[in-house]
Amino acid sequence: MRGIVELGRHPWLHRILAVALGAIFLYAAHDKILDPRPLITIIWGYRLVPPQFTNLIAIYLPWMELLVGLGLLTGIGRRAAAGWATVLLVCFTAALLINAVRGINVACGCFSTSAQDVQNAWLLALRDLPMLAAAVLLTFARPRQQPPLRPGAPRSSPSPT
Amino acid sequence: MRGDLIRDMAVLLAATLLLGTAANLIPARRLAWWGAGQQPPQAGVDFQWMDVHSANEARQALPNAVVIDTRSSAAYREGRIPGAIHLSYTDLGQGLPGELEERLRRADLVLLYGDSEDADTEQLAAQELRRWGLAPPYIVAGGLPAWRVAGLPLESDSEGAP
Repeated sequence: MRGIVELGRHPWLHRILAVALGAIFLYAAHDKILDPRPLITIIWGYRLVPPQFTNLIAIYLPWMELLVGLGLLTGIGRRAAAGWATVLLVCFTAALLINAVRGINVACGCFSTSAQDVQNAWLLALRDLPMLAAAVLLTFARPRQQPPLRPGAPRSSPSPT
Repeated sequence: MRGDLIRDMAVLLAATLLLGTAANLIPARRLAWWGAGQQPPQAGVDFQWMDVHSANEARQALPNAVVIDTRSSAAYREGRIPGAIHLSYTDLGQGLPGELEERLRRADLVLLYGDSEDADTEQLAAQELRRWGLAPPYIVAGGLPAWRVAGLPLESDSEGAP
């Protein structure tokens, strides 16, 4: 158990997860930022949000995804970005699960703005779970500090030429 | 530490609101902020579906059928339904060209198609046409990919079509 906790605090694990999750969010934001209008159809398709709110979500969601992606990739405000990634992924997963329970397969809108890209809602929710786990880890588990180098210790081994 | 996280998340939210608001002030990509009547396009209200074979027969049988390609200009030049005109959804935001509006009002059938693998801009374009007071147009189910799969005729600029 202790080993798992230690692994969850490993700095390299945090870096890898942040870069991977950041890249996913940037990719997800790309199409929506170029043209947010088809996103209205997607949001509408979830049948969860009153029509008055669909446009507001389509206006702001792509930019949130972009900033979350940039934050995770660059490390600037990484925990805040991971925090918002957690919030977003909880919302996305809940929306997919509600529709899965209703028996409605929705167009996810995750990486494509096509409303005809309808997929199994259970599988889509399942796909979100690893990303959600990564976002939660990045938000709440602080990476272990790297031990400082000992004075006089070689920084790297010289390579023979 | 938790205070730092909440503060940083608030900053990120503020940046999102700023960027989203600024981007939505650009006329070409503007969405209405709020209010009823902004519902997404709905089949049966803003448009009707038509399968590719019916669409092909209807465009040939009706003398005043107007076929509209809502994909990109490059895709349109590469291959389109014969006789289709190009009309991008973004251009519709600026208003309908007078000549085209007249033609659409006189049309027996307005048929839109897009690329179902891309985005549903044809549905949005249909809704926009409805807002301009035109009868609900038809949309080719499956768009051009379905048309291709069905082996129906296409034309392209390289064939010397207009």
